[in-house]
Amino acid sequence: MSADNMNMNRRQVLQRAAYLMGGALSAPAVLGLLSGCAPKQEEALWEPVFFSKEQGAIVADVAEIIIPRTKTPGAKDVGVPGFIDTMLKDVYEQADRDRYLAGLKEFDDAARKAHGKPFVELSKAQQTEQVRKFNDDAIATELSYDPRPKDLKRPFILMTRELTLLGFFCSEVGATQVLQYVAVPGGFQACVPVAEAGNGRAWAQEAMGRL
Amino acid sequence: MNENTYDAIVVGTGISGGWAAKELTEKGLKTLVLDRGRNVRHVQDYPTATTDIWEFPYAGRATAEELRRQETAARTGYAITQASKHWFVDDTEFPYTEKQRFDWVRGYHVGGRSIMWGRQSYRWSPMDFEANAKDGIAVDWPIRYDDLAPWYDHVEQFIGVSGQNEGFAQLPDGKFLPPMEMNCVEKHFKQQVAEKLGRQLTIGRVAHLTAPLAHSPQRGTCQYRNMCIRGCPFGAYFSSQSSTLPAAEKTGNMTLRPNSIVYEIIYDEKKGRASGVRVLDAETRQTTDFFAKVIFLNASTFGSTYIMMNSISKRFPNGFGNDSGELGCNIMDHQLEIGARAMVDGFDDKYYTGRRPNGIYIPRYRNVGKDKRDYLRGFGYQGGASRGGWTGLMLDTKLGEELKERAAEPGPWYMGLGGFGEILPYHENRVTMDHSRKDKYGMPVLAFDAVLRQNELAMRKDMANDAAEMLEAAGYRNVRSYDREMGIGLGIHEMGTARMGRDPKTSVLNAHNQVHACKNVYVTDGSCMTSAACQNPSLTYMALTARACNHAVEELKRMNI
Repeated sequence: MSADNMNMNRRQVLQRAAYLMGGALSAPAVLGLLSGCAPKQEEALWEPVFFSKEQGAIVADVAEIIIPRTKTPGAKDVGVPGFIDTMLKDVYEQADRDRYLAGLKEFDDAARKAHGKPFVELSKAQQTEQVRKFNDDAIATELSYDPRPKDLKRPFILMTRELTLLGFFCSEVGATQVLQYVAVPGGFQACVPVAEAGNGRAWAQEAMGRL
Repeated sequence: MNENTYDAIVVGTGISGGWAAKELTEKGLKTLVLDRGRNVRHVQDYPTATTDIWEFPYAGRATAEELRRQETAARTGYAITQASKHWFVDDTEFPYTEKQRFDWVRGYHVGGRSIMWGRQSYRWSPMDFEANAKDGIAVDWPIRYDDLAPWYDHVEQFIGVSGQNEGFAQLPDGKFLPPMEMNCVEKHFKQQVAEKLGRQLTIGRVAHLTAPLAHSPQRGTCQYRNMCIRGCPFGAYFSSQSSTLPAAEKTGNMTLRPNSIVYEIIYDEKKGRASGVRVLDAETRQTTDFFAKVIFLNASTFGSTYIMMNSISKRFPNGFGNDSGELGCNIMDHQLEIGARAMVDGFDDKYYTGRRPNGIYIPRYRNVGKDKRDYLRGFGYQGGASRGGWTGLMLDTKLGEELKERAAEPGPWYMGLGGFGEILPYHENRVTMDHSRKDKYGMPVLAFDAVLRQNELAMRKDMANDAAEMLEAAGYRNVRSYDREMGIGLGIHEMGTARMGRDPKTSVLNAHNQVHACKNVYVTDGSCMTSAACQNPSLTYMALTARACNHAVEELKRMNI
């Protein structure tokens, strides 16, 4: 497979599709298939719909601790807090929303109890320490289930972890700058050294089911 | 009457209906092709075919409201997403009754489930057509492998099937395009199960073009996107849209009429034959009669059965062609949701490029040759190896930069196997009309009453254990078998409710897929199946359809129908 093929962009793909159809479709008509929405805007523009402003601020800080800005953008940069807000509003059921908000309150209360301040006013080090503690405890609890409950109810911290991973790695930045993604591979190489598999990073995968 | 009169009528445009349309029009019959759903034009009407994951809302997941409206299709776990939800029926508009859990996964649109199908394409073997007679189960198939073999050739050469000829007795070779390649773990696994357990394994046989087809220059080759369920803008996999409907269109003999719900076959009591079909227009709600010399029912297994059960006449008071009382009985599917998965060490320096829309296949070995089990028939496995990614980090305690860096590295290799097991035909596993409930158009709905029985449950034990045994034999670790609850139907290989047979007293259709008691009606979708084997059945429906179309045209020439 040639490098050209690997890098064939979507416009070329669609033109090729039009060509393969024997010109049954004009290129503009095929390009009309490009109906997706634009990538999410910067975090500053985000107005929570489901969360209150205060709740949204906590969720945003937790998400950024899970996936921070490094050499590449982080959770806030790609709009993960807004994504979590939308997911809770439209994808989750009322019982999940209630559990999430109750857990969010407990999480903030824990900050107040330990430091006398709301979570968003803690230092980055204090915030990270609290997220780590909640994260590690909740993961240990989930891993201890045997058998795993059929209808597992994840606590606030793990719902936030799940939605942050999902929102980030399904974002354009997450899929193309942190992982790697080729819209139209054009061929299949069944077994190559990792370094020769594109840029050697993990391929972005579609994860529409539950984690 | 004249303007509504054709040589032939085909009801349905899915896997088998598209084939009936192609074969009948190519043989010169003016053919009316009806579908109950909206039209779907190739490429133009695949709204998500080129959408990248970040362009979907909700990272592609379905909303709570969508999952409520499409609850039964959502039981698959993959059908209802932002990428594919538009291909599946809204249960609130078209409900059905479940006396036992029953998973009826429907697509009401031109092309039907040929757009969303799994594309795995396997021949049945001589053993499969002989099984009922040999075991004394249900009724004997009225045909044998040799009757169908030339039609398998015909179908494979037209649709394009990628695969490897292996010479397996239980999985006949075919006319294949070049096989897709196994990755390094799959090759290792193949070698291990052959050496340690003497079991065979081949690359999946799939209806994808791995090389161009001279007769279908409009179709491109597979681009390894693995987004097939959305519709392929390259036409690289077989669907009615990419393959059979364009062929029918080209003849000038096809009249395609979407939004046409066939709810009854019109039976002419004087002539003793079917004269046409009654259609409810899904948009105008007007009813119209259409007439033809020959009628092909390809409305899907339960779709065709519904039309027959709903066609009551003096001659057929219990449903069209139902002298035997077998119409609606003998529901079969393939049992699945069972298998095993393991982690594989030793290949961490290896990876792949491209998303192969296919896996590996282990053909049936139980009750084959000298193997004898305490149940009848057997199962095959589909599976494959791949490397994990960020989803595997959900319960890893890593956070922050460390988590981000780990997610960017290819994860561990996993090898998985999922069983597809034969379900026997039981008279008691059946579908009936439920006149107490109505769909969007005021039509009565179907009621399903079917369960896995003792033979299937005994087979399930082997299906889970054997998968784990093979992964262990290959030296893999953390082998986990699974056995999840399923409703019949979840395999989306529903079959059997208007079965073929030799005797009109015990079957609905004859050896040519004609209704025993009304020879100008042919039924060639999954409802015609006399047993289920364990291979994916679509290729067999296509071959049976092509064979039946040839018969119908010959019979018309001979003035026999």
